[in-house]
Amino acid sequence: MEAQDTKGRIIKETFPSEMVSIVGDILAGIVLSLLIVSFESFLLLILIIPALLSLRGNLSGPFIARTSRDFIIGEFNKKSWFENVLATFTLSLLTALAIGVFSILINFLLIKLYIFHIGLLIVIPVISILLTLSISIPCSTILNFLAFKRGFDPNNVVNPIMTAIDDFFTVISFYLTIIMLGVP
Amino acid sequence: MDYFKKIFKESIIIVLISSVMGLFSGTLLSNNEVVLSSFPIILLVLPSLNSLIGDISTVLVSRLTSHLYIGTLSPKIQVSDRLKQDFYGLAITILLSLAALISLGYMLGSVIGIEIVNPLLIISILIITILILFGFMFVFLFMGSILIFRKGNDPNNFLIPMLTSLADFLTPLFIIIFIQIFV
Repeated sequence: MEAQDTKGRIIKETFPSEMVSIVGDILAGIVLSLLIVSFESFLLLILIIPALLSLRGNLSGPFIARTSRDFIIGEFNKKSWFENVLATFTLSLLTALAIGVFSILINFLLIKLYIFHIGLLIVIPVISILLTLSISIPCSTILNFLAFKRGFDPNNVVNPIMTAIDDFFTVISFYLTIIMLGVP
Repeated sequence: MDYFKKIFKESIIIVLISSVMGLFSGTLLSNNEVVLSSFPIILLVLPSLNSLIGDISTVLVSRLTSHLYIGTLSPKIQVSDRLKQDFYGLAITILLSLAALISLGYMLGSVIGIEIVNPLLIISILIITILILFGFMFVFLFMGSILIFRKGNDPNNFLIPMLTSLADFLTPLFIIIFIQIFV
């Protein structure tokens, strides 16, 4: 990795990925405003969305970075990948529960809006996150593999591209979840 | 299951703290809604701006960690050629990306009919915010990576969740402060 690792290479590999990320984020914002704003329970839903979007950095980001590192240091194998995936899913489940509990607390103390069963505030983040990760984990692993095989540094390429994919699918998964659960 | 345990043990607290911190960013935004809505273009580019600083910082941590593991970066807090290459490479990338983001933001803004208020000042505020945040993040994440690695832990597990929440909180905070100073 070090021999050709100059600032030129960093710019050449990271800038195009960052462009994908910027465009993807703007698209996610547009989809979010088109799909979610019309819900009657928007005030409650908007509580969960920023926390869900931050999971891209909290869970998916470290997963991608660990996979990139394992490829680079030659320690990538089925066992390490499986344990990495399992840890990511376990952490995401606990985080989704925490987001749900906190949302209920904030609603109880500040918003005081009871349009649907309050327990759904726990179910929505759990299902949304699991759906998003089911897309994000295979995608990022394949991208890491392809970047590494083609001689790119996965650290420079994969994370910005996955930001766009994660943010976009977080919004879509969130929308599908609230539709499935019949949230008004 | 050693790898699973290591990841879980190193990540659980910081991931939970970062997720809760996300709620503070939302509160900051809603409390300063009037300031931000005076400049609608900022609201349009803010999510991408948060992602930009988060992405570049994630690339930095990810690169530093790989360098530390393969031994091409010494686990000492000192300036090296490797570090300079990373600094200049990422600084140029973030400025180029910011230029693209601002251009895209203003183009989109014109198309959807957003009111363009004082563009030169707003662009200056965005550039100053990004430069200050990048400088701060670079120093903080470099020192953090070295210290965490020296303790035998993986910097990816600690720093990436933390930097995302930090970026989501600090980016609007700096913009709001600069708007209040200059406008």
